[in-house]
Amino acid sequence: MDLKGRVARTAAPLLIAAPLCFSVSPSRAETRGYVISTFSPAVQTDYHANCPQDKNGLHADLLVRYLMEIGYSKQEAVTVLENQGAFLSNELFTRIATRARINGKPANAADYPDAVPDPNIETVTGRYAYGFDLGGKNKANKFEDPDTHEKIDNQLWRAVGCTENFRIQGGEGMTGLAAGWSIMISGQHLDQDGPVTVTLDRLLQHLEADANGKVMWHATYVIDPSPRLRNVFKGKIEGGWLTIEPGSDLFLLTEEPFAVDINLANIHMRLHNEADGRLTGYWGGYTDWQKFAFRYTSYPNAGDEIGIYHALKKLADASPDSKTGQNREISATYRVEAVPAYLGTMDGKIVATPVRNQPPATVAAK
Amino acid sequence: MALNLVTLNRALIVAATVAAVTGTHPVFADEINSASDQPLSIRISPSQYRQSITDIFGSSITIAGGFETETRREGLMAVGARTTNVTDSGFERYDVVARGIAQQVVERYRDALIPCKPADAQAADEACARKFITAAGRLLYRRPLEEDEIENQVKVASAAADAAHNFYSGLGTSLATMLVSPNFLFRYNVLEDDPVHPGQKRLDSLSKAQQLSFLLWNSTPDDQLLDAAVKGDLQTEDGLRRQVNRMISSPRLEAGVRAFFSDMLMFSDFETLSKDPAFFPRFTLSAKDAAQEQTLRTIVDHLITRQGDYRDLFTTRNTFLTRSLAALYDVPLLETTDNGQPMHWIPYTYPEGDPRAGILAQASFVALHSPAGRTSPTARGKALRETILCQTVPPPPGNVDFKFVQDTSNPVYKTTRARLTAHRSEPMCAGCHRISDPIGLALENFDSSGGYRTAENGVQIDTSGELSGVKFDGPIGLAKAIHDDPATVACVAKRVFAFGTGRTPNTNSEDWKQIERGFKDSNYNFVSLLRQIALSEMFYAVPTTQRVAAK
Repeated sequence: MDLKGRVARTAAPLLIAAPLCFSVSPSRAETRGYVISTFSPAVQTDYHANCPQDKNGLHADLLVRYLMEIGYSKQEAVTVLENQGAFLSNELFTRIATRARINGKPANAADYPDAVPDPNIETVTGRYAYGFDLGGKNKANKFEDPDTHEKIDNQLWRAVGCTENFRIQGGEGMTGLAAGWSIMISGQHLDQDGPVTVTLDRLLQHLEADANGKVMWHATYVIDPSPRLRNVFKGKIEGGWLTIEPGSDLFLLTEEPFAVDINLANIHMRLHNEADGRLTGYWGGYTDWQKFAFRYTSYPNAGDEIGIYHALKKLADASPDSKTGQNREISATYRVEAVPAYLGTMDGKIVATPVRNQPPATVAAK
Repeated sequence: MALNLVTLNRALIVAATVAAVTGTHPVFADEINSASDQPLSIRISPSQYRQSITDIFGSSITIAGGFETETRREGLMAVGARTTNVTDSGFERYDVVARGIAQQVVERYRDALIPCKPADAQAADEACARKFITAAGRLLYRRPLEEDEIENQVKVASAAADAAHNFYSGLGTSLATMLVSPNFLFRYNVLEDDPVHPGQKRLDSLSKAQQLSFLLWNSTPDDQLLDAAVKGDLQTEDGLRRQVNRMISSPRLEAGVRAFFSDMLMFSDFETLSKDPAFFPRFTLSAKDAAQEQTLRTIVDHLITRQGDYRDLFTTRNTFLTRSLAALYDVPLLETTDNGQPMHWIPYTYPEGDPRAGILAQASFVALHSPAGRTSPTARGKALRETILCQTVPPPPGNVDFKFVQDTSNPVYKTTRARLTAHRSEPMCAGCHRISDPIGLALENFDSSGGYRTAENGVQIDTSGELSGVKFDGPIGLAKAIHDDPATVACVAKRVFAFGTGRTPNTNSEDWKQIERGFKDSNYNFVSLLRQIALSEMFYAVPTTQRVAAK
């Protein structure tokens, strides 16, 4: 099934309804605005429980493995590293980079990861991971969410969780290099339980940085008017947590290679309004595993790109290709944080305002 | 022949300064008697330097480098400039800047700025050098050059051209020496016998031209003004009026107004302003730079474009914002500037009753007069009295205990008001704080960065205050009190006079009272004030008490 088609089919009916949500007068409802400041795979940080073999090691261990893959013995590989340090010679670097073999000829491993033998990296075998029950049928693949204690699907975490890059939760990753994304939450009383509408958009502008280099709070952004980039979901706030009705798809476009599009099928959300006004929580769904792997194979030496590629490929758990049977999607969960913002439209209307810890003196109209 | 231009120019500065004092020009005072005397030399400010270069050589010239520090006296750098000189390190800075300018003029922009071509670009050309030096020198020195000055500069250009086998290199050397000459770096006021008041002295025409030009345009006189000065027009009422009207009608008036208010509002302090990013993350470098510009745009819009009442600067709801300032002030501001481009300035009007009305609520005041991590009603109150009302607040004694004031996490004194009240319990502190705090406390809704708040440490902020017996609540009340206080308009008039002359006016004189009446009759129109002062006799007058030595 074509992902883009699924998004379009799911989103289109909601777009007709969406304007009605925003035409409600301020006296009867409110709409709060945020911009996404963090979007990175959700990490469960109990490394030793997750990766008892500790097989993958760190960067130096990875280099030893690479050298062994091009014919060095382990001892020889260790000696090379002791002599050259982490910065291998150009000659060795090139041999490693071209260790893929196509018809017996060297090829770039990052471009042709299938032409590199699967290194069978260690994958997560621990009990816990953040996520949602996406309907995965294989109970053996399920984790338990440490917060909700539900059985959940997160094969992406299983694939990458024992690699060096995923030992700690990624911090504020949204930068000024790509257009930002916004979240609008509309409802009668957003500080109480009740139904809400959640709208996700791409912005026309990159995110503003504050004096600490983090995403600026209470900045104003213009929402990209393209209807193709709008995602609208029905949800509710219950016990302080915002969730949405499952079954929809999410597509948020960005500017690659500075950031990666967010493309999640059967999206689930769990968000909490923190005391300081931030939104924090998780999004889960099925994502294209090759696109995720591309983030690593397109930046060689950014991590164990070949190991990650093969692990993702093996552990992908949805949307099988009709000809090859290879699953094209993998269950995934992302840590999401968003900071308060003003959001407006191209015709000059402010459609969402930041939540505050104290009421503003005034909200001035333009 | 290698020229040691650094040594040469240092010698020139010493010689010219000595000459200015001892009398190679027609008449000089042998000393300045008091602050009301006409200063005989005033070092031009960094902004006047930049504006002069822009006006003479164009805005494409980049001026890179730092300038000699300025001194503030009687509330203005313009007054401090009458007693500042050029230090060794300052001279080196001027030299670096001068060489950079000269290089751009003779290399990148030579076709536009040099009115002739040398016969041979690899050799000296005295005729072409003379043409450029005469024209540029007139504007740089703000007077026609003497023949020996032209001759000396032509020699410099020729010697340098011969050494480098490059005409333009030689010309650039000459230009660089002119740019570090005291004749450029200092304004010299030359006195002459006043034929209208025998026995008294007056400024000569070229001195009047300079005084006028630096007041209204913050820059060197242009060709028209210099021509009028040379012809003697500025010594006649009609001639002076023609030039004043021309200059006030010019778009260049904005530069003069900006320079004046930058000085009066102490924007030089922005160079050392910083805020703790842990507490004030929205006070970015962009917001800090924009804060000054916001106030200056507000002022220009209100006083020049709208010809508004000066007092309404403290109550106006009209301003200009960028997205970074809007985030600081927590107001929405939509604009669709392409990413990576400089932010646009958007006209913005606060709604009726918004506490952000007026320039005192802008970051250029509330943030500028606050420490890095907390507010200081004392500093704000002091600044308001000194900059807006021309009143003096004595400095604190050397042995003050600030423990209450600085303890922002004190569990008992949770607000700044409470901490100041505790501090004022010391008898030696109460007297001065009574002058400043009742004003500054009215602005406590604005945190150290200029952001708005209604509570501090969970306690609602009390913004009641008092000025000259008038009680009020909050920034709007303060703004109205400032608007209505007679000291507000009296102060700005005095500051304008001092900005233009480097000296304080005799406010007891009938001439001054006439200026004040005129300001009032014009509904406190600032442009009208400028015109009145520029046309007044006292602006150019030499006090009869000023001692002078005859030639």
